[in-house]
Amino acid sequence: MSDNPADEDILAQPVTRQEVMAAFLANDIEDGEILQVGAAMPVGEVAVRLAHFSHGPNMELIFIGSRMNVAHLHTLPTPEFGWDRRTVRWAESYWDTGHRFDRVKDWGNRVFFIGGVQVDPHGNTNLIGVGTDHRHLRFRGPGSVGTSTLSTLVGRYYIVLNSHSARTFVPRCDYVSAFGWGEGDPEARRRLGLPGGGPKYCVTPLCVMDFTEDTKHLRLRSLHPGVSVDEVVANTGFELVIPPGEIPTTPIPDPEQLRILRTRADERGALRR
Amino acid sequence: MSHPQRRERIVSEAEAASWVSDGMTIAIGEPGPMAVIRQLVRRGVKDLTVVGSGVALDLLIAAGCVRKTVAYYVGGGAGGAVAPSFRRAAEAGDIEVWECEEGIVAAGLRAAAQGLPFLPWRGGLGTSLPDVNPDLKLMTDPIRGETLIAVPAIEVDVAFLHAAHADAYGNVQHIGGPGWLDLFLYRAADRCAVQVEKVLSNEDIRANPGATTIAGVDGVIRAPWGAHPFYSRGYYVQDRAFTRRYVDAATTAAQAGDRGPLDTFLRTYCIEPETHADYLERVGVRQLIALHEY
Repeated sequence: MSDNPADEDILAQPVTRQEVMAAFLANDIEDGEILQVGAAMPVGEVAVRLAHFSHGPNMELIFIGSRMNVAHLHTLPTPEFGWDRRTVRWAESYWDTGHRFDRVKDWGNRVFFIGGVQVDPHGNTNLIGVGTDHRHLRFRGPGSVGTSTLSTLVGRYYIVLNSHSARTFVPRCDYVSAFGWGEGDPEARRRLGLPGGGPKYCVTPLCVMDFTEDTKHLRLRSLHPGVSVDEVVANTGFELVIPPGEIPTTPIPDPEQLRILRTRADERGALRR
Repeated sequence: MSHPQRRERIVSEAEAASWVSDGMTIAIGEPGPMAVIRQLVRRGVKDLTVVGSGVALDLLIAAGCVRKTVAYYVGGGAGGAVAPSFRRAAEAGDIEVWECEEGIVAAGLRAAAQGLPFLPWRGGLGTSLPDVNPDLKLMTDPIRGETLIAVPAIEVDVAFLHAAHADAYGNVQHIGGPGWLDLFLYRAADRCAVQVEKVLSNEDIRANPGATTIAGVDGVIRAPWGAHPFYSRGYYVQDRAFTRRYVDAATTAAQAGDRGPLDTFLRTYCIEPETHADYLERVGVRQLIALHEY
């Protein structure tokens, strides 16, 4: 039971697709992992809080340079804006204090979340921009941030997108800023000498996708409640692998998980807007 | 008989900005050292290569100071995905974008700091970065035979940072840690000036030498509120409404081709105020007090 009667009103609101995304990701994260979320990634922000508060007392959370464990706290507010460095209030250490990128050999235990202006069928992602002439892009993206290095080294990462459209899911990225599975070869990363495990799932407001084992091609894994296969196909700019038979529905959070999500992981309601 | 005196390193924001001449490479830390950046705009410095990020970099581009960016992330700052002046200038080909990534920039800065021609880096293998940035060379490691990226030294003429405290001799003590790549920028630069919220006595620094994050920078700039409209750890939060005004004006210039509001913004906040104090008077004490928490 909640102490706060207002919580009951909040819990009565319908579950949003962003909350479904966050709950799915939280359920895939295991205790003891180190979770790093970059700026302006609300689904990832909430997912790691939800996992930490529900089943991850030994997780370490890293938000734009602040590393923390706050399992003893009731809540950890989500940032008010992308580069809200007030997360330093909860930090146990700052990994930007002059030794960034100095101990990357243990990043195999680290989990990361990555976005993209474009995503191709093999999980390669692009934050550089759109257009054939790099000196005159049609759309100049924000830049690769730390994604080329993180995607190279972390144990696994999730591709998390705020929208699912044929403009984003393209047959081939104009530029690749984070290498997923290359041309669709399960050995591609090993051959390039990339120690990290690569992208595991791609999660969008419509569905969850994984990668086929043999060709590392995006495959529909589950549909969020109310979404059809046709809607996903129509909004994906390449042929998605659709497994035979009924596609499962991405589970919605159970009441206890929803309570933690809304009253502790996302008190501010970042995913209910 | 008088003792020889230890030289103090306090400089004004205008004096620090005068270390920069057209065509130099400068680095700007996090949060943005805005008192100096406004002076660079005011002086009309040209053709800079800027190692930096975000809206602080965007303002220098908007003012026409930049020829080339070494930036791994130029986010919108106030909601937009990409900062408006950077986006427009890059799409138009008005600036050269040295395409890179955070780990790659760190490797290049480290190489510069260590006086090496390059350092190898693994992050970025398999990506388009070596294709669109020919300075990044694929190399074969002579020890184990692996393929790696050789990142050339990113040599910086002057680095400008913002921190909480320093004494007059250039001993800097941050609150909440140095920003992002700040120590890399400091180490890679020939000269470094740090704006501070407060100049401490040398005794205060000696009371806790373990807290000194950078020892002996070349210039200390007395600049309370010097990161405005950004935050300064331990002192104040970000002035989002002010940043929004810049982003809106720059977006109007970039997307509607009307530079009127942007030029007004630059004139009002960067060009007309001669000093940082003049700027703060324009922002207004009520506004500053409203931000004064951290």
